[in-house]
Amino acid sequence: MAIRGESMEVSFHKEIESLRLGAGETFHGEGILAVTKALLQSGVAYVGGYQGAPVTHLLDVLVQSEDLLAELGVKVETCTNEAAAAAMLGASINYPVRGAVTWKSIVGTNVAADALSNLASCGVMGGALIIVGEDYGEGASVIQERTHAMALKSSLWMLDPRPELPTIVRMVEQGFELSEASNTPVILELRIRACHVFGSFKTKDNVAPRVSSKHRTGPAKFLYDRLSHPPVIFPQEVAKFERRMPAARKFILEHKLNERLGPKDGEIGIIVPGGLFNGLSSRLSLAALSDVYGGVRIPTLVLNVTHPLVPEEIAGFCAGKNAVLVVEEGSPDFLEQAIGQILRKADLNTKLHGKDMLVMAGEYTPFVIGRGLARFLAGYGKASEPLEQWLKSVESRKDEATKALTINIPPRPPTFCTGCPERPIFSAMKILKKEMGPVHVAVDIGCHALATFPPFSQGNSILGYGMSLASAAAVSGTQEHRPISIMGDGGFWHNGLLTGVTGAVFNKDDEILIVMNNGYSSATGQQDLISSAPETDGRGRGLDIEQALKGVGVSWIKRVRTYGVSKVAATLREALRTPVKGLKVIIADGECQLARQRRIRPEMAKRSAAGERVVRTRFWVDPEVCTGDHSCIRLSGCPSLTIKPTEDKLRTDPVAHVNQDCVGCGLCGEVSHAAQLCPSFAEINVIENPSGWDRLRHRLARGVRRLFEGRVAPAAVPAE
Amino acid sequence: MADLKPVKVLIAALGGEGGGVLAGWIANAAVASGHVGQRTSIPGVAQRTGATTYYLEVLPQRAGDARPVLALNPAPGEVDLMVASELLESIRAVQAGYVTPDRTVLLASTSRVFTVDEKSAMGDGRVDPERMQEAANRFARRAVFADFGRAAADARCPVSAVLLGAVAASEVLPISADAFRAAIRAEGKAVDANLRGFEAGLALAEAASPQPKASAAPVVPAAGSPANELEATAKKQVPPEAAAIAIEGVRRLMDYQGPRYAELYLDRVGRLAKRAGADGAFIRELARHLAVRMSFEDTIRVAQLKLRADRIDRLRREAKARDDDLIEVVEFLKPGPEEIFSLLTPRLGRAVLAFVARRGWSEKSLPMRVRTTGTGGFLRLKALSGLRAWRPRTLRYAEEQAWIERWLSLVERALARDPALAREVIETARLVKGYGETYKRGHANWRRIVDEVIEPLLAERMPKGLLADAVLQCRVAALADPDGNSLTAVIESVRAASAEQRVAAE
Repeated sequence: MAIRGESMEVSFHKEIESLRLGAGETFHGEGILAVTKALLQSGVAYVGGYQGAPVTHLLDVLVQSEDLLAELGVKVETCTNEAAAAAMLGASINYPVRGAVTWKSIVGTNVAADALSNLASCGVMGGALIIVGEDYGEGASVIQERTHAMALKSSLWMLDPRPELPTIVRMVEQGFELSEASNTPVILELRIRACHVFGSFKTKDNVAPRVSSKHRTGPAKFLYDRLSHPPVIFPQEVAKFERRMPAARKFILEHKLNERLGPKDGEIGIIVPGGLFNGLSSRLSLAALSDVYGGVRIPTLVLNVTHPLVPEEIAGFCAGKNAVLVVEEGSPDFLEQAIGQILRKADLNTKLHGKDMLVMAGEYTPFVIGRGLARFLAGYGKASEPLEQWLKSVESRKDEATKALTINIPPRPPTFCTGCPERPIFSAMKILKKEMGPVHVAVDIGCHALATFPPFSQGNSILGYGMSLASAAAVSGTQEHRPISIMGDGGFWHNGLLTGVTGAVFNKDDEILIVMNNGYSSATGQQDLISSAPETDGRGRGLDIEQALKGVGVSWIKRVRTYGVSKVAATLREALRTPVKGLKVIIADGECQLARQRRIRPEMAKRSAAGERVVRTRFWVDPEVCTGDHSCIRLSGCPSLTIKPTEDKLRTDPVAHVNQDCVGCGLCGEVSHAAQLCPSFAEINVIENPSGWDRLRHRLARGVRRLFEGRVAPAAVPAE
Repeated sequence: MADLKPVKVLIAALGGEGGGVLAGWIANAAVASGHVGQRTSIPGVAQRTGATTYYLEVLPQRAGDARPVLALNPAPGEVDLMVASELLESIRAVQAGYVTPDRTVLLASTSRVFTVDEKSAMGDGRVDPERMQEAANRFARRAVFADFGRAAADARCPVSAVLLGAVAASEVLPISADAFRAAIRAEGKAVDANLRGFEAGLALAEAASPQPKASAAPVVPAAGSPANELEATAKKQVPPEAAAIAIEGVRRLMDYQGPRYAELYLDRVGRLAKRAGADGAFIRELARHLAVRMSFEDTIRVAQLKLRADRIDRLRREAKARDDDLIEVVEFLKPGPEEIFSLLTPRLGRAVLAFVARRGWSEKSLPMRVRTTGTGGFLRLKALSGLRAWRPRTLRYAEEQAWIERWLSLVERALARDPALAREVIETARLVKGYGETYKRGHANWRRIVDEVIEPLLAERMPKGLLADAVLQCRVAALADPDGNSLTAVIESVRAASAEQRVAAE
C-alpha cells in the first residue's frame, strides 16, 4: 500500500490497516480513529478539516490512506483553514452525499462561523457532521469557551457521546441519520481525553459513497430556497424551528439517542451530558451509587445529544422528583438554563441544581464532580460517608503536601525542541532588547508562541491564528520602535497573508513581520503546507512565501537563515531603524528540526555504514572554563543545553552542559559570539570514515602538539 | 462482580519521552492477559518537552462480563501506581495529591531533566533532590527510586522501556512480566533495545530500595606528589576542617601560576586564620573563594585550560567517537578590548582602554573560531598560554589583586564586628565570576553591595543579626535576575530598615 505523508510526526501503518476491518471484526485503537472508521462505515463521500489537537489524527490517518480512499471513492482535503473546511459541507446542500469535517474547537469553530451560519440556514440534504475536539481543561492550548454556543445560535445539533468507542461510533452513524432526518448539520463534540482514549468496538464493512469521482452525478437543479440569500433566509429561519427541530427531537426520541439509566423512580436525579458520564459514575461509585459497569443506583439521564433538548424527555425525567442535578461543564450554563425553562413551562416544581453546587468555570475534575455530588446528596438527606471522607482526605492531603513540600516546584511548560530553528530568532530578539530597549511584540499561534515562556518571556498579545500582524495595526505608529509581529508559515497560509499582510500593505502600516518558514505546520505534527517542499512522499507544492509577499505588494523583504543569530539581529536592527516606511517582512528560513532529524538520521547512518565520509557535529561546554552563570541558557533554553554538577572541588554552582541529544544546530556557538558570552563553547566534529587528507592534517597537528608535550599541563597537576 | 475495582495507574512524563508508548504497552499487556485496559492522555502542546500525564485503568475481568465504564481522569487519593520518568515530576504528582500513603506505589526515576527556571538561575537554581525524595517517601505507600534514565542510556533504549520493567517488578498490576515482554514484541518496534531496557528496569526496581544517599568523595591529598611542601604548610597553617580545600587551592594556584603565587595564597589564608572568631568552617569557605578568585579567568588561563592534554580523549568519549573516527574541535572565542588590553602593563593597559572608550569601541570584540585540533589553532593558544610568566605584570593581575585585598580587608573588619557578617562577606565573592558581560555585571553588583550596604552598615551601630541577613539578602537578590531589579529593591529595603533602626536608637 502506498502511504503518503511519511514526513509527518506520526505514521499510522497499523491504524490504516484497521480502517479496512469488515463486519464482525474488532477495532482496537484511539477514540478519534474510531471516529475515522465510523465515517467510512457510514458511507462518507468527503472529509475535510484543519489539523490541531486533539483531532489531528483523524485527518493525518486519512491523508496517509490514499489507496483505501481511492478504492472507496472518498475525497479528502486538508483545508486552508476551518472556514474552508466548513464551506466544504456545501456539497451536502444539493446532493445526497454525506460529508464530515473536523477541527480544534473553540478556535476552529470561530474561524468556521461564517460558513457554518450560512450552511445552517439553508440546511443539508446529505448528512453533514462536524467533529470538534473540545480543547477544554487540562492539556488545552486555547481560550476556554464552549462550542455549545455555536450550536445554539445557528441551530446546529450537538452530540456529546459517552466517552467509550461503541457509543462514539454509534453517535457518528446516527449523527448522519439525524442530520438527514432534520436537514441540519450536526456537531459531534469530543473532549481531549475522549479523543485519546483507547478502546475497541465491533466493526462493519466500509460503505462506498453514492456520489463520488467513481459514481458521478449531474449538477443540481436551480432551487432558490437552497441559497442562503434573501428572501429565502426568512422562511429558512422559520423552518429551523417549525420543521427541522421537531424532526430532530422525534429522531432523538425514536432512536433513544439519550439514555435513561438507573432506577426509574427516585426522589432525586442527575442529568449529565454523555461526555461527563464516566467521571460522574466513578464518583457515584465512591458513594455506592454506581459500580464499575456504570450501574447507577440513582435515576440518571445521559444526554448524548445536548442540543436540541427534548422537552418531553426532560420533563418526564424530572416529574415526581424533588430535585435534579445538572452536571454541565464550562460556562455559560446553557443546559441548566434550558432545563429550567422546560421545568417552568411544564409547571414542574422539581428543584434545579447545577452550577450552584458545582463550579461555573473550569474543568469538571473528579474532585469538582465529587464535591458537587456530595453537596447535592447531603442537601437531600442522602449524604454519603465515604464520599465525604474522600473529599476531606483530598483537602487535608493537599495541606499536608503544601506543608511538607517546602520546595517551590518550578513549572515545566513546553519549550522549543532541541535544535529548533525558531529559537535563534528569539535569542536575537533578546540580545536586541538589551541593546535597543523593549519593542511591542505581537504573538501568533504556533510553536513560536513558546517564546512567551522563559527564558524568552516576550510578547504583548495573542489574538488568534494568523492574527499577529493584524493585531499590531493600531499599535504601529504609536511607539518609538516599530512593533514586531511573529507568524509561522502555518499561520501565514491559514489567514495571515490576507488578514495581516494585505491589510498592512493597503493601510501603509509601518511595522515588522517575521515569518517563520520552517516548512511544515509543525506544532500540530509536521503536516505539509502549500509552501512545503514537494518531496517524493510529501504533499507540499513548494510555493514560495517571498513570491506571495511580492505578489501582494510587499517591497521590503529580507531572508535570513535563523541560526545566524548575529545576522538575524542585524536584519532586525535594520528593519527597526530603516527610514523606509511601510510593512517590512523578514522571512526566517530554517527547517523544523524534528522533521529534519527524522529525514537525515537514517541517511547519515546509511552513508556511514557504506564507508562514506560523514561529519557529525555536536556542541560541548568546557566544564573547567564555565563558571556557572548560565547566561547561555537564558539566551537559548534548548533542552539539550542543561546543567550538571561542577567537577571543580572549589566551586559549587552547577556548570552548563550539552547533553547527548544535541543535534549540532550551532546556536550555542552563535549566541556566545553574538552576545559575547564566554569562551566555554566548543564545536566537536566527529569525522567518520575520514579521508586521506583528513588523516594527514591530523597527523601533522598531533606532531606539532607532541613537540610541546610535557609542557602541556594535564588537569590539576602542577606544571612547574 | 459489582464491587470489582479497577487498578489505577498514572504516568507522569515529559512530552516526547515515550510516556504514550509506555501506557500502550501496559494497556495492551492488560488486554492480552484477559483484563480490560483503558488508557488516555492529554498530549497537546506538551509534546514539546512539557510536563504531561497518561492515565490508565485496568480491570481484571472474565469473558462475558458487561462492558465496564472506566474513568478518564485520575482522581487524587485513588492512584495505585504512580510512575514518574523524572524526579521533579514525581513531586508534582505528590503536590497534586496523586501519591497517598494508603495505596500508592511510586516508581520514580532519580534522573533530572532540569526545568528552564532551574537551568537559567544565575547561580544554583536546582531543587534539592534529597528533599524531593524525602517528601515522596513520606507520601507513598512504597516508593522505589532508581536512576531509570541512566539505565535507559546504558541500555541504549527509551526510558519508557526501563519504566515498563519497573512496573512489572512492582507487581501492582495483575500482569506477568512475560505478558509485558510479549507486548513489546507485539508492538514490533525496536524490540531488542526495548527488551534490553525492560530487563534493566526489572532488575533495577527489584534491587532498588530507598535510595542510598550519595556521599561526596572526600578530597584525599595525594601522598608524595611533587610540590607537597606547600601542601604540608597548608596542613599546618589552617584548621583541619579547611585543610582539604586549602590543599586543593594550593594545587589550583600551582597549576595556574606557580609556587610563589601559591605561597601568597597560603599567606592570605594564614593571615585570616590567626584572627579571633575564624573557625574551621569559616576558613574553609574563605580558602575556597580565595582560590577561585586568585585563579581569575583571564585569556591566558582560558588558553591553558583549552590545551589540557587529556581534553581530546575526553571529547572523543563525550562525542561517542569510534576508534577510527577523527575529531575536530573548534573553540568559540570572542575577546573584547578589556580582555585583550588588560594583558598589557597597568599604565599602558589603562591608557589604551581609555582610548578605546573615547572612540566608542568598548563594545567591539573579536569573534574567533579556533581549531585546537589543528596546527594553527594549537600554536595560537600555545603562545597565549605561554604568557603565564608575564601575568603578574598585567593590568588584569593588578586589578584582581586589588579586589582581593579589598575583599579580605572587608572580611577582617566584619569579623571584628560579627563572625556571621564576615561569613556573608566571604560569600559575596560568589558574585564575581565569568567573562565579558557576566564578569562586568558581577563586579558592578558586588561594588553596589559593598558601597551601599556593607560599608554603611559597618560604620553604623546596627544589631548584629540584621547585618548578616542584609548582606545575605543582597547576594541572593543579585543572583535573582540579570537586570539588577531585585538587588535594587533589596538595597532599598535594607536602607529603610537601617534608617528605622537609627530612629529607634535615637
